[in-house]
Amino acid sequence: MFSAYYLQIMILVGINIIMATSLNLITGFTGQLSIGHAAFMSLGAYAAALATLKLGLPFFASLLFGALLAAVFGVLIGIPTLKLKGDYLAIATLGFGEIVRIVFLNLKITGGAVGLRGIPKSTTLLWVIIAAILTIFILNRILRSRVGRALIAIREDETAAESMGINTTYFKILAFGVGAFFAGLGGGLFSHYFQYIHPGSFGFLRSIEHLCMVVLGGMGSMWGSIIGAAALTAIPEFLRASADYRQLFYGAILVLMMRIRPEGIIGERRSRRKPPQSKDKKLGKINIFKVIGR
Amino acid sequence: MTRKNVFWATLLIFCMVLVLATGCGQPANAPEGEGEGEGPSAGAEVVKVGMVGPLTGGAATYGTSVRNGVQIAIDEANENEDIPGVVLELNAEDTEGDWSKAANAFSKLIEQNKVNVIIGGVLSSETEAGGPIAMGGQIPAISPSSTATGLTLGNPYLFRNCLSDEVQASQLAEYAVTELGFEKFAILYTNNDYGVALKNAFEETAKELAEVVAVEAFMDNDENFKPQLTSIQTKGPEAIFIAGYYTEAAKIAQQALEQDLEVQFLGADGFYSPVLMEIGGEAVEGAIFTAGFHSGDESAVVQNFVNKYRELFNEEPDMFAAQAYDAARIVIAAMKSKGTSAEQIREGLAETKDFPGITGNTSIDEEGDTLKDVLILKVEEGIFNRIR
Repeated sequence: MFSAYYLQIMILVGINIIMATSLNLITGFTGQLSIGHAAFMSLGAYAAALATLKLGLPFFASLLFGALLAAVFGVLIGIPTLKLKGDYLAIATLGFGEIVRIVFLNLKITGGAVGLRGIPKSTTLLWVIIAAILTIFILNRILRSRVGRALIAIREDETAAESMGINTTYFKILAFGVGAFFAGLGGGLFSHYFQYIHPGSFGFLRSIEHLCMVVLGGMGSMWGSIIGAAALTAIPEFLRASADYRQLFYGAILVLMMRIRPEGIIGERRSRRKPPQSKDKKLGKINIFKVIGR
Repeated sequence: MTRKNVFWATLLIFCMVLVLATGCGQPANAPEGEGEGEGPSAGAEVVKVGMVGPLTGGAATYGTSVRNGVQIAIDEANENEDIPGVVLELNAEDTEGDWSKAANAFSKLIEQNKVNVIIGGVLSSETEAGGPIAMGGQIPAISPSSTATGLTLGNPYLFRNCLSDEVQASQLAEYAVTELGFEKFAILYTNNDYGVALKNAFEETAKELAEVVAVEAFMDNDENFKPQLTSIQTKGPEAIFIAGYYTEAAKIAQQALEQDLEVQFLGADGFYSPVLMEIGGEAVEGAIFTAGFHSGDESAVVQNFVNKYRELFNEEPDMFAAQAYDAARIVIAAMKSKGTSAEQIREGLAETKDFPGITGNTSIDEEGDTLKDVLILKVEEGIFNRIR
């Protein structure tokens, strides 16, 4: 039907849609800046690969195992770090990501710096499409429920949310756990597609790439993440034609995109929490200015 | 406000056009170059040779060297019309040093560019990820530089043209005992895959033939090696094998000199750089190490390559460039003897025997691994001299 190359790009687009939408739940909807999403992906990738290789589990069970393990780590990491906010949380998740990468680089069972080879090629486009649709469906259901409204309330104003009786820590950890679960699922699909994994591909740059997909598509928009993931996976491949200038164009597109539409492709234009200015206030300002001027 | 938007939109469109222009530029250029290159034998068959490696990112220096080496070999073959009626065309793809992108590059070269053979990947992880794709597409691939243990096992389409860490270290240990007559060794290794592989192989061989009195580790970018050297000094070895790269090796040699530790320094291809002498100076004088390539070699083939490389790229060729040049020439030799289809190239590569390369005589064994002579170099008066 398609050539293997396009098939591969489509599979990667599907996996990245899972990664971006799950990160969007954490960063876009709950407002928690995380740059360690690749760590959850690698946990899922390694756990699923080892479940297949060492335990002989069927593909579906391995995927579930990888996703669950990533979710457990998401919760475990969430408990101590989610008391942090904004930049501090970002640095903590960055540190977590590096720890996971270094651990995989040194563990014997993961093949260390040599990587893990010989994983059966079980991931097909159909699996990826099913997984992506399931991810989007479940995330959508969560977001439209009471939980989703609580998450958005936390994003808009954490103090106000807390004063309305929302247990912010609980919901933030929930968001991290669910986000990590789907990241782990994406990782499992990833390792069973390439038949080989190496810690080098799950570094901090990969996390940034996922964040770019979410921000470019539009924070807090499900469709935005889907389009962002598809665009940022496909563009570098199409730019292969421009050889040496590829990275330059890729960077330029990102810069221009952020300059023209800082809210992302589909993001909603949100007011930056400025209180609405009444006419009186404006008048007042002008009056004060005139007074000082005199 | 609107004017501003129009400005940015125009800039975006301009960029897109530029992308498209360069994109279209490539295929448009190809036939032009062809016409120039061959002249009379127009209408020759174009055979595409792929290359995969990191051309951007932290490992770009290796990938660029490999691409340059392959380019020289292909240009030579086209000039001399080595394969009658065939013009070779290089298609290089970037991996950014990321193996999952290497997999994309392999797929793209096989499916879109329709290459008949791929030279790459450069890093071991790239070749690991690309190997199954090459096998699936039934296109042979030869890596000029991936040294990972067992890389080519179970994949009849995957070959390599480089010394494995194990072979280098064990041959050096043998040489140090039988030719140089050392009996007590110490090992200092850098704690990464390269250092550990060298250490294990050297230790194994040295223990069989002589004695290893101390084994100490250090990290990449370490500055102070006095603790390890002091500990080694108390054991009184005659030679220290440094399993690491030139920067650290030079500093180790200097600090050993400062504390009057007089020993013979041994090393592997990580020593091969003029920076060794720039930092080490007097201290590295007399150091002996293994290498896959020696640019000071006076034979005509080596000098031809070194001169061409300097002329075209304005720098000294390194080991990666030399191994890539040889890998490409092995591929060309396979095309000459068998034919230019992917299957014929694979057969030709598998039968490679005593190929006279600039990195030594090269044979490929039944697993796709390389058998070649290991060069042994010595620092004498600030330059590398070949002693074996």
